[in-house]
Amino acid sequence: MTTRLRLQELLGPILIVIAFSYVVGLQSAQGLLIVQSTLALFVMVLALHVFVGNSGVLSFGHGAFAMFGAFASGIVTTPSNIKENSLQLQNLYPFLVDLNLGMYPSLLLAIAAGALVAGLSGLLLMRLNGLAAGIATFALLGVAYNIFFYNNRIGPGSQALLALPPFQFLEEPVVLTVLVMLVVYLFGISRAGRTLRATREDPLAAPALGISITRVRWIAFTLSGAIAGLGGAMFAHVAGTVQVQDYYLPYTFMTLSMLIIGGSASLWGATVGTLLVTGIGQILLMMEQQKPILGIVVHIPNGTRAIVIALSLVVMLLWRSEGVTQGREFKIGMPKLRK
Amino acid sequence: MIQAILDAVSLGGVYALAALGLGLVFGVMRLVNFAHAELITVASYTLVMTHQFPLVVSMVLSVVVASLMALLMELLAYRRLRGSNPATMLIVSFGVSVLLQKIYELVFGALPRSASVATGLTGTFTVGGVSITTASVVTIVLAVVILLAMGYLIERTKLGLQLRAAASDFQTARLLGVRSNRLIASAFVISGALAAVVAFVNVVGNPQVDPRFGLDITILALVGIVVGGMNSLRGSALGGFIVGAVLSLLNVILGNGRVYAYSWMFVIVIVILLVRPGGILSKFATKERV
Repeated sequence: MTTRLRLQELLGPILIVIAFSYVVGLQSAQGLLIVQSTLALFVMVLALHVFVGNSGVLSFGHGAFAMFGAFASGIVTTPSNIKENSLQLQNLYPFLVDLNLGMYPSLLLAIAAGALVAGLSGLLLMRLNGLAAGIATFALLGVAYNIFFYNNRIGPGSQALLALPPFQFLEEPVVLTVLVMLVVYLFGISRAGRTLRATREDPLAAPALGISITRVRWIAFTLSGAIAGLGGAMFAHVAGTVQVQDYYLPYTFMTLSMLIIGGSASLWGATVGTLLVTGIGQILLMMEQQKPILGIVVHIPNGTRAIVIALSLVVMLLWRSEGVTQGREFKIGMPKLRK
Repeated sequence: MIQAILDAVSLGGVYALAALGLGLVFGVMRLVNFAHAELITVASYTLVMTHQFPLVVSMVLSVVVASLMALLMELLAYRRLRGSNPATMLIVSFGVSVLLQKIYELVFGALPRSASVATGLTGTFTVGGVSITTASVVTIVLAVVILLAMGYLIERTKLGLQLRAAASDFQTARLLGVRSNRLIASAFVISGALAAVVAFVNVVGNPQVDPRFGLDITILALVGIVVGGMNSLRGSALGGFIVGAVLSLLNVILGNGRVYAYSWMFVIVIVILLVRPGGILSKFATKERV
């Protein structure tokens, strides 16, 4: 059962993401790479939105699901002869050496891996509330990182997998992203999604209406784990390499910041946050490299880019603490920004 | 064996100090201050850059610098966020943390700066045939002294009473006349000073200070305050101690498996949280309105 499907809330963000992808992606090879990695991050932000946005519980554990997705997909798409001959993969389990899948089956595997890990850990973790839940999910990330970093039977340990097939076309990540946006939006207006938001708004009243908080949170956690697995795998197939460090703290906080800056409670917020943070980063990069922006060359000294990015994140949140969209969905005839 | 226990106690003591600094700030404004790491880092840089001065002078300087920076964070960033939701505050504090890391990188460079600080503390001595590192003993003594001093401050002074009152119910404390700006500012200053103590102990043990120097200990201390119980300062310190001591013991117990020490510790953390969601020192499982 779903409630109120408003097409503009779904189509607005989708069209904007498609427009961004083609406008930037067709500029240059570098533009294509920017779009692909932005979309991979965006899928991760969407995964966080499904759980964090709808439940109001912070999760630092999604990096773990992305790790599982990325390595599941990475190991099976690395050709067997490379796995046999590379130094860092000598201790790999033999069945992993022989196993070979194409990119798309491997993405399904990544989704399954993310869902499985989230589903199992969620059975325990979803009993927790507030910061205890945040720290417990962080502990999950810590365990996953620790294991992937040192265990060279299931992956390359602290080394990188280097020979993954990268995305060939712009369309591949775009189609995947749009599908995920569709799923995320439909979940948001489904019974489970709306029930979950009820528990976010009032964790004491919702159980009084017969809602099991643990159960609805678990559903969202598992779904978002599946999406995070896909996001992690997509991130790996952008550059064709995967390394466990790529999915640890900077990745976790980058994607969480994108979500919170945009406004965690809506699909539109996740979209705006991702595009805004990416946009600021790219514009500053161009300034650092003295490239013209709209015909104007503004030069900033090397090394200041990272400072300005961090500073603008802080300032944006101080300016509007509920995120730029304040958690509202897309609406034509843009809404009044202040109440 | 004795050395292992001393190491565990001393690491536990350091983490307890870091956790107490975080717990103080959390108590007064529900802020998990991730940028506590950068207070530890700046105090460490101060110690390393002023190593040619007498030790006492450079220690005092590091306390002053860290406290000032804590105060600045409060004035420039966190003050505007009072009463916002904890997720937003956490992300802002993360932003502040990254911002400061990048500034350190620009000022001090990305590579570690090192200088021998307090060289007298790096040796070992023997008691009854057992060799013991001086650093572990000094750390324990320092941690105990500071914790006792903090205990006195919190339990016996007016400021401490206000801090405890604010930690248990900030709104009511304000209604009863506690001046919130001044109280929050003092919590930040104290947490800066505690960060400087943590920095001193860490720099003596490992004088390679880079922009991410304080990060690991802060993350684990954060885990500690949740495990111990965020709503009391005692709980925060206890949780920090447990995390530090368990990690240190696991490194000994696991032998060759010690690379997985973090995994085991995090598993223990999850189990503790499942059994006592409000932390070890919580009286009952309170439900936070998230």
